[in-house]
Amino acid sequence: MLIAFTLNGRPTSVTTDPTRPLLDVLRQDLRLTGTKQGCDHEGECGACTVLMDGAAVRSCLTPVGKVSGRDVVTVEGLAHGDRLHPLQVAFIETGAVQCGFCTPGMLLSAKALLDRQPSPTRTDIIEALDGNLCRCTGYAKIVQAVVLSAAGLRGEAPAEPAEPHHPPMGGSELRSDSRDKVTGQALYAEDMAPPGMLYGKVLRSHLHHARLRELDATDARAFPGVYGILTADDVPGLNGFPAYSREEPVLPEVNSTLRMVGAPIALVVAETAQHAEAAVTAIRVSLEELPHTFETNCALETGAFPIAGRSNVLATFEAAHGDLEGALSNSDHLLDTAYDTAFLEHAALERETLLGYPEQIQDPDGRQQVRITVVGGTHEPHYQQDYIAQALALPLEQVRVIIPPTGGTFGGKQDPWPFIATALMVYHTGRPVRLAYSRHESFDASPKRHPYRVRYRIGANQDGQLTGIRVRIDCNTGGYDGHGQYIANYALTAAGGPYRWTAVDGMARSVYTNGPKSGQYRGFGTAQSTFALECALDELAQALDQDPWELRWKNALADGERSFLGYPLADSVGYRPVLEAIRPDYQRFLHEAAHFNASHAGQPLRRGVGLAGMWYRFGKSGSLRVEAHAELALDGHLIVYCSAPDYGQGTNTVISQIAAEAFGVSRRQVEVINADTARVPASGIQGASRATFFVGGAVSQVVTHLRQETLGTAAEMLDQDPQRLTLVDDRIGRPDDPCQQVTLAQVAEEFQRSGKARRLIGFFDLSDEFPRETRPEYIPLFVTGAHLADVAVNLETGETEVRRMVAAHDVGRAVNRPDAEGQVEGSVLMGLGAALMEEHLPGQTTGFADYYLPTASSMPAIKVILVETPSRYGPYGAKGLGEAAMLPATPAIINAMSRAVGARLHSIPATPERVLAVVRRELQATQ
Amino acid sequence: MTEYLIATTLSEALALLAQHGGDAQVIAGGTDVLPDLRAGKKRPETLVDITRIPGLNQVVVNSDSVTVGAATTFSALHAHPFIQERVPALAEAARSVGALGIQAVATWAGNLVQAMPAADGAVVALALEAEALVWNAGGAPGEWRAVDSLILGPGHSAVDPTRQIISHLRFPLPAAAWGAAWRRIGRRASLVLPILNCAVKVILQGDLIQRAVIALAPVAPRPCRASRAELLLAGRPPSDALFAEVGRMAQQESQPRSSIMRASREYRMAIIPALVRDALWTATHRALRSVKDPDFAAD
Repeated sequence: MLIAFTLNGRPTSVTTDPTRPLLDVLRQDLRLTGTKQGCDHEGECGACTVLMDGAAVRSCLTPVGKVSGRDVVTVEGLAHGDRLHPLQVAFIETGAVQCGFCTPGMLLSAKALLDRQPSPTRTDIIEALDGNLCRCTGYAKIVQAVVLSAAGLRGEAPAEPAEPHHPPMGGSELRSDSRDKVTGQALYAEDMAPPGMLYGKVLRSHLHHARLRELDATDARAFPGVYGILTADDVPGLNGFPAYSREEPVLPEVNSTLRMVGAPIALVVAETAQHAEAAVTAIRVSLEELPHTFETNCALETGAFPIAGRSNVLATFEAAHGDLEGALSNSDHLLDTAYDTAFLEHAALERETLLGYPEQIQDPDGRQQVRITVVGGTHEPHYQQDYIAQALALPLEQVRVIIPPTGGTFGGKQDPWPFIATALMVYHTGRPVRLAYSRHESFDASPKRHPYRVRYRIGANQDGQLTGIRVRIDCNTGGYDGHGQYIANYALTAAGGPYRWTAVDGMARSVYTNGPKSGQYRGFGTAQSTFALECALDELAQALDQDPWELRWKNALADGERSFLGYPLADSVGYRPVLEAIRPDYQRFLHEAAHFNASHAGQPLRRGVGLAGMWYRFGKSGSLRVEAHAELALDGHLIVYCSAPDYGQGTNTVISQIAAEAFGVSRRQVEVINADTARVPASGIQGASRATFFVGGAVSQVVTHLRQETLGTAAEMLDQDPQRLTLVDDRIGRPDDPCQQVTLAQVAEEFQRSGKARRLIGFFDLSDEFPRETRPEYIPLFVTGAHLADVAVNLETGETEVRRMVAAHDVGRAVNRPDAEGQVEGSVLMGLGAALMEEHLPGQTTGFADYYLPTASSMPAIKVILVETPSRYGPYGAKGLGEAAMLPATPAIINAMSRAVGARLHSIPATPERVLAVVRRELQATQ
Repeated sequence: MTEYLIATTLSEALALLAQHGGDAQVIAGGTDVLPDLRAGKKRPETLVDITRIPGLNQVVVNSDSVTVGAATTFSALHAHPFIQERVPALAEAARSVGALGIQAVATWAGNLVQAMPAADGAVVALALEAEALVWNAGGAPGEWRAVDSLILGPGHSAVDPTRQIISHLRFPLPAAAWGAAWRRIGRRASLVLPILNCAVKVILQGDLIQRAVIALAPVAPRPCRASRAELLLAGRPPSDALFAEVGRMAQQESQPRSSIMRASREYRMAIIPALVRDALWTATHRALRSVKDPDFAAD
């Protein structure tokens, strides 16, 4: 059917099935890929929002037949040529763009609002954006951007981008990639469709635990459009990726077990997505159902059905020092308590989507080779390159991994499986292949946050002095390892917090169940323990009739003191400054809540104030020698080569700021080549919030060296003392003699002429700081923070509103203030989701319709305080931040709720139902 | 390939349905129809879009009733000044459907035909004692039928969108002081099905409640009224004690189910009294306000 309509001001027509979603027609037929797909055409995410006759609508729920004769505007139609719409400008300027995947939908929802209501209230804005999910920003800067551009459109404020005059470091430098994201030009993996591209689809188990008895793909192979059905026999190399996940196959052998719903069985490659889906259903599979459990305590019982080979315990980690029994028996008070957390889904707005393709390359001897390239969002391309090479039995140089603009990961896209699967499909077909998980598939098959059960016995004296701590943690690693082998260490580390203990006895273990495979998730295993500890400390403060702030202050670790882990911290610990930073708000909130409760006595709404602290071990470790390269390009600009993937958190910007600062130029003279195994050195894994510290450190080192070389050569050219030369814009010379100058381009030419390397290799190397023989398994680099929450709980319904939050973090040195704030705001909302609404129930949760992410209206007023206690080692004193910010939000909210309710909440999410159950239990107990 | 026809008159739409003898289906906003088509639940040969029929987009306020065209979106319903001012419960219910991007195209009438067990539009329609003007393809003129009689069970409406069309909805504006209230509990504000929806209407006579309507969902396979609770209110003055008693009665009348992803039966039961009481007070206050402000003129 011919459908004619106006698209971005131009008459357009398409001939297609009129019931196809407008979204698909825009993206596939018209190649306008700015409009994004986050869910399975269910209207659950808002990423596909477009304007239809001026109203913001879901293009995934709009049959294209409906737009006949109407006016449709997509993100590509917002700007007029190079002139951005004021909303686009405001999104860039406020830092409202992180991963950018929700941005087009947000922009159009906001435009629809401003077009009908030029002076919206904050409530109007939140209401208009409440159907657009964002996982990165916490919505704060998006709302601020709409406020700003509304004012601009009314002529009250400048709507054009102000020329930034910030210093490269510490200022409010704008993101380098936001312009592409607000115009819909940024190409995410799903936006790339090379000619001849095939579609991959995964056959997955629908059972929680099963043995694969038979697998017969004969019928499916004969299906039209099918290019291949791949099973375990088709994996040419190692059928697994044990460095990441022990005992997790790429594809399962017949007679092996499938330990979770969503476990992959076979791969289908076909001409179209529809052909692939049809063929998947034609693969004949016989599964023998086995007993299953989602609970660690069941999996740990003697005689429990084995899930893994030898034992259902994957890994154990212990730490002990001091005389615990003595410390506890001499304490005035003992607290025994336990806390539980849930499986959490990362819910990045972009689903797992990868593109693989073969490339012809020449090896060093000039022979033609095929290289398999995989483009997809993840945390370290070199790791994926290695996993792929092992599975395909290829040398490393025949595998390339490139990280494109990525719609968020939060740890979820660290999973190597989709990378290996994509490469395998390219290997067997020799064609480009796209693997895109559906949202439902992503919920089933992508890694989750480990649920914990944490049990404490904590001793304290009447004056609030902490004494001994005994902690036992069971981490639910689900059906597969997925780095659960390392989680026990992190779980235990966070379980003691930035506090002084006289004796410690800790044990954590990761335990197999048939839940979804757990994996990396913002804060890798530390958020759950922090939640438990900080809630337990609040309980303890109540039992001792101590103020919880005072209790924390009294026991806060200072620089150089022995930590919970038994050895001193390596770097400055800003915990006391952080606590001081939140104190005035804490006292004000307490006062206001008490006043509210007194004046609303007997009414169902109760206010409560809670706080929580944290420490977070950032930087991971592995190699303490991190590599980066810097090049003086022939035209005089600076090129930095490193691997610190930017999946929305802003590393490209931070790296360019550090490079600009170190070189002494503006950021516009810096180009960052990042996260492409064929072009950049491996800079180690992008996890544990280490990019700014480690990669930034390496960049700072190598660029500083390049600056010295550049000034040295300039000095020779000018016959001057290099000490007396300065670099201003792109000119080097003596400030007092403008005639004596050379440009950076001239210096580059001189490098070239004299055979001097324009590209230097540099390292950030802490190896000597922490000699191997005395270094603990992970180097003790910690950051601290504290959050404050003000909540209102309805005691009759259990509904909770988080009204205000204050988040203070020691960042060492804020490299980019709006980005740092954005990380914290996003973390606060993610922590709020974990506290109140998010829970993945294995086999039940299907997608965004029943996994409740915070929306704009869930957002409290958030005040971010960046405390700067400089690091001794990090570039310009910077420390890691991105993950740490999530840790205190959840316990602060739960503590506030427990205070409001007058009884303790022990498990999250604290849904209205769970809150009401606690209220009623307390009521019965007191009657 | 499915045909997509945009009807320009009601009679044309009815004729198209008649002509296709059950193989054509009405589409309004399409936010439920499209997922049904994708899931293969429905396979009509033809979709008949009724949203561009002049007149079906209008809200007409009469002295004793409000008539809402079937193509009126929830956004239009919410934005209507009379509804905002005088029937805020309807505006609030309209704002509860999914999110703004859904409300911009989804319609009140479509919500009724979709007949979900806790549909926001249905619950508020019950409380307002709304009626629907239902036309049969190729049949007699349309007739007004109580919305209460149209919703038969989960996903099961008495209106067959392959053979029938709702052209309008209407609800009465009582002559006496009256007010309606909307109370919804969900896991968050937008984009969720409700844990519980409650809509009430209170009509006053002097200091007494003349009569009231209480609608709840999901407490049964279809949105329904707590009729015994309603009876308790007739002829009595509003009070905390009375509303508490009514809330308990509504609770007794309810048979909610447990939903793993939303809430248990026990939780739903537990919050009914508070919800009903809150809604009754809100409606009563609105009714009293309407007495104080009798000159508000409909435009």
